[in-house]
Amino acid sequence: MTDTDIQLMFCGSAGDGTIAVGDIFKRAMAKAGYKVIAFDIYPPEIRGFGKCISRVRVTSRQAYSLKQQSDVLVSLNDSYAIPHVTEIRDFGSVIYDQAPIAPMAEGEHISGHLLPGQLPYGLRIREISDQTTGGSKSKNIVALGYLAGLYGIKGDPFHQIIQEKFQHKDPSISETNLRAFDTSYDEGASTFRLDFIELGTPERQDVGNKVQMMTGNAAVVRGCLDAGLNNFFGYPITPATSIMESLATELPRRGGRIVQTEDEISAIAATIGAGYAGTRAATATSGPGLALMIEMLGLGVMAEVPSVIFCSQRGGPSTGMPTKTEQSDLHLAVYGGAGDAQRIVLAPTNVEGAYKCAGKAFEMAEKYQTPVIVLLDLYLSNRYETVVLPRQNPFEADSSKYRSHLERGVAYNRFALTEDNISPRTIPGEEGGIHTITGLEHNEMGRPNDQIHSKMSEKRHNKLLQAFDHPGITIHKRFGGEGKVDVGILGWGSTFGEIFEAMLMAQAEGINCSAMKVVMLSPLPSQPIKEFFSDCGEILIPELNYEGQFANLVASAVSQPFTRLNRVPGVPMQVEDILNQIRHLADRVKSPTAA
Amino acid sequence: MGNLRQPVYLEEKLEQVRESGRLNIRSKSLPTWCPGCGYFSIVDGVTMAINHLQIHQKDVTVVSGIGCASRFPFFLDTYGFHTLHGRTLPVATGIKVANDALTVLAIGGDGDAFAIGGAHIPHAARRNVDITYLVFDNGIYGLTKGQTSPTSVLGFTTSTSPYENQDRPLNPLLMMLSYDTSWIGQSYAGDPRHLSDMITQAIAHRGFSYLHILSPCVTFDKTSKTYSNLKAQVQLLPDDHDSSDKIAAIKHAMDVDNPPIGLFYKENRPTLSDNLDLIVDKARGRNARA
Amino acid sequence: MASTEHYVIIGNGVAGNEAACHLRQRDPESRITIITAGRLLFYSRYELPRVFHESCDWRDFLVNPIEYYVKNRINVRRNSFVTHVDAHRKTLNLAHKEEISYSQLLVASGGASYLPAELSDFAPLLNHFNLYSAACKVRDILPSKGKIVMLGGDVLGLDLARNLLKEGYKIILVATEQTFWPHRVDSDERALFLGALRDMGVEVIEEVKIEQIQEGAPGMSARHVIFDDGREIFADVVMPFLGLLPAADFMMGSGVDFERGLLVSTNLRTTDQNIWAAGDVCQIWSSQENQYRFYYGWKNVKKMGEIAARNMTGDDILWETATDHKMYLDENKQIISPYWEHD
Repeated sequence: MTDTDIQLMFCGSAGDGTIAVGDIFKRAMAKAGYKVIAFDIYPPEIRGFGKCISRVRVTSRQAYSLKQQSDVLVSLNDSYAIPHVTEIRDFGSVIYDQAPIAPMAEGEHISGHLLPGQLPYGLRIREISDQTTGGSKSKNIVALGYLAGLYGIKGDPFHQIIQEKFQHKDPSISETNLRAFDTSYDEGASTFRLDFIELGTPERQDVGNKVQMMTGNAAVVRGCLDAGLNNFFGYPITPATSIMESLATELPRRGGRIVQTEDEISAIAATIGAGYAGTRAATATSGPGLALMIEMLGLGVMAEVPSVIFCSQRGGPSTGMPTKTEQSDLHLAVYGGAGDAQRIVLAPTNVEGAYKCAGKAFEMAEKYQTPVIVLLDLYLSNRYETVVLPRQNPFEADSSKYRSHLERGVAYNRFALTEDNISPRTIPGEEGGIHTITGLEHNEMGRPNDQIHSKMSEKRHNKLLQAFDHPGITIHKRFGGEGKVDVGILGWGSTFGEIFEAMLMAQAEGINCSAMKVVMLSPLPSQPIKEFFSDCGEILIPELNYEGQFANLVASAVSQPFTRLNRVPGVPMQVEDILNQIRHLADRVKSPTAA
Repeated sequence: MGNLRQPVYLEEKLEQVRESGRLNIRSKSLPTWCPGCGYFSIVDGVTMAINHLQIHQKDVTVVSGIGCASRFPFFLDTYGFHTLHGRTLPVATGIKVANDALTVLAIGGDGDAFAIGGAHIPHAARRNVDITYLVFDNGIYGLTKGQTSPTSVLGFTTSTSPYENQDRPLNPLLMMLSYDTSWIGQSYAGDPRHLSDMITQAIAHRGFSYLHILSPCVTFDKTSKTYSNLKAQVQLLPDDHDSSDKIAAIKHAMDVDNPPIGLFYKENRPTLSDNLDLIVDKARGRNARA
Repeated sequence: MASTEHYVIIGNGVAGNEAACHLRQRDPESRITIITAGRLLFYSRYELPRVFHESCDWRDFLVNPIEYYVKNRINVRRNSFVTHVDAHRKTLNLAHKEEISYSQLLVASGGASYLPAELSDFAPLLNHFNLYSAACKVRDILPSKGKIVMLGGDVLGLDLARNLLKEGYKIILVATEQTFWPHRVDSDERALFLGALRDMGVEVIEEVKIEQIQEGAPGMSARHVIFDDGREIFADVVMPFLGLLPAADFMMGSGVDFERGLLVSTNLRTTDQNIWAAGDVCQIWSSQENQYRFYYGWKNVKKMGEIAARNMTGDDILWETATDHKMYLDENKQIISPYWEHD
């Protein structure tokens, strides 16, 4: 069976339905049983104008990064697509409108910009749209039909998705669009194909409800709902807003409550308030919002109140680059705040991981009575992946350590020092459990007290170490070569997708290498990292920030030297970039003197 | 006020207090306030109100910020959350959203409320969160040993205004009226009966109730809002004041020389929780309740 | 030479590409654009019969590697159709409504398969072999040891035929006056060559006209050919090889003189001073014969490309009338056409 791996790129203006057609394509491919990863780029300003790009990679085995070069470019607007022609590989294809409506000057048509190795597929896109629908609005559907016909992809899933897409509109709109699709599908099917792009049969035909396609933010929402989120408080900020937007619809359907607060400070304050009152509560933000939340997060640490904070990172510092991706809030998430403010920080590496981390964050917050930050980034938040969700809800409905019956009637100490450093908890309304919590250092009873600071600091630190063994979540994992290897790549967050691809490519070149992802950044699982270091001749830590924030974290845990790879282009790291570093390090292991 | 002049016998009084049961609501921790501080009478007022309304202690949560006033939760035997400077209201909102059954009191001083916490007040008010906000206004920062506050009068000399305060004081009542607060009252720590009555009314109100409590700082303010000054200035709202007349309330609120005490304004409208329930109904496709 | 020159070449065959190569050498700073209707870079049509006996794709037919175009900055605009040339404004229009300006234009668009009017009704049932895609199509529909009816049999057809015979396919040649085109053969030579074809294993049918070509019944051979004498043949493919006609319809209305092909003087310039022509599309003035005439074959066409390029860049080289290439039989009695020779 052929291993399918093709990447398409739709490029046009917002008015061309660029994102919409990318969406239909990826949904249809997922429906057909392929694995999909996709990422859309919108104009930074309001919609309706500007360039839109939708990239979709279709594979038989789930991929976790987009390829540097796409196989096919579909231009719905040549002036926007022309600069991206160079992103199409040799012998890849460019599909474009052969019959635009207006005369144009030399150089304005994409056909004049193709590189020698690329294959042109001009289609009368506008004409076919006009003929089948009576207007040019369905140019995107025409291009889609041609594409599907050209590559021999079955039309049924496309029909279903197109019908779903237009189900709330006049039935004639669905019909004309299907006609447009079919007409150009036939045209594509009868076109002699010259490229070398093959679509194998998808692995599994039995696509049940389990397999879904969703973005990282949608996975967070799903994880929250499956974990029984009760209350959500948020303030809009790119790229986290869609979490709140989805919850605004979904949470009340399940009887939950959501409030758009006046700022991020209120959002985290209310989240902690609700956590104190005993519900599962969360907020979502980005770096600038997390910066505002940090003081309140410290209160959550000191007063030992559960809370969950999702932070989707973007380019920083300050307002930075709201629509560009980066991994530069790690220092803030792990260290931010006054005093020794130990907290749990989780960073999923893909969409499925975002679901897992989201749900598990609530268990951990309750069980260890602490704020839990889940760090995503713009790329992970917005990209689509096909994910397999467990049929059984994998999350515990209540993980709190409450007072046992035996303890009832005895004077209650909210911050009692216990063997596992976790104090039994009561919530307001509970008989006999009355207590006051505070951001002041306090004794076991919760009364302000400076004498006990050492002991309480130790309690707050040690209780979190149990999270290393928290059931049902992978907090670190090694991939690729077992035992001793020449090169090890250590990574976190969405960049691990590119790391994983680079590792596979390096292995294919015969380089003995291995990759390890670290999902829990705080507390840091130092022991497994040390073990990984001792197995690897050279270590590479690629991440999307300038300072090497994860590398700094690792440097505090291990003494061996390693190599950093830091990039801040605002877009995902290039797999080739990582691969080159792996090659370089592999050479160094082979001939140490050359280094 | 006339009652104060009648002789009070300590033993009789103690018996009366014990019988009321309100001492149970006091915690065993001794207040850290200076002797003579107006806040003592506020604790009494709160315990009397809770007692009077027959609310179970376990169902009361007192949320405070940072400052002398915000030490309040430690001195009550109820659930309490001593939070951050200025963040009383959003935390209290979160608690109320999480559990409607709780009686939530938010407590802060004038600095906590109107300096660092000012941005949260209009939003708690417009959402009509069903909490009772007690602001203890002494016109000074006491816990940090005497600096000007947003309600300090012009010309007030403190450690941070050695050449006299030049910033105009805020008028909290006018602000609260403009924020559409659904219950607004003012009281005075020197009149415990009035105070406990106002606290009782404020807690009983369904919605966001704001009680402004004038209270002297006996340690750092010897000139401005002293017991003797306030006693001479404070006056009762006229008997004929209509608490549904916002214009009249605004006029009274503007009288800063002789601050009136009593209920300024009151209206009944859906609370945040009512609206969140409505949203749940809408989301579930049920008919919106009348 | 001014570096702002834009040389536009219409046609992506031997003449056009040879010209592009010389233009680049002689004017390193200029812009060079080749416009072609096809989707592929320049490939060798002479090699197309290889599709039958090798596992190969079009990359194996490319004359120049991709890097050649990058290095020499030759922009090959594929899948582009010239609709009009305006000699006065020195512009040309493409079907997708883009207008392109040139300083010098070389028309080297070659020839298209000739199909007489009486066969045009059957066009959808005929297969060609002029393009990579057409060749692949024939390969894909021909069953093993399948049967091909070849109409006419010009030198291109005969080249294919001798290759197909080696692969075990069956060839039925319907002889017409275009058989052996462009060789001019007298009746003796014709009989000799047809005999040689029969000896090679080709079934030759003479003196008949096509009455009807039909799609075969399901499960039968795909094509059903009926002749005017009542004979019928079942075959898998019917392919016309009836010579070429100049493909330069787009030059109509350009103001350039035109007969069957573009008329050029011996320096390959048309009647417009900025428009040149080379290859199968042009008729060159022959003072010897006192007429404009065509010259075919790889060698001639290549030479024309070079001359046009040199003259476009300031030389004044004249086309020397070549003697006609003759078809002959080798020592094994095999037909040989000099037109089959190529690099």
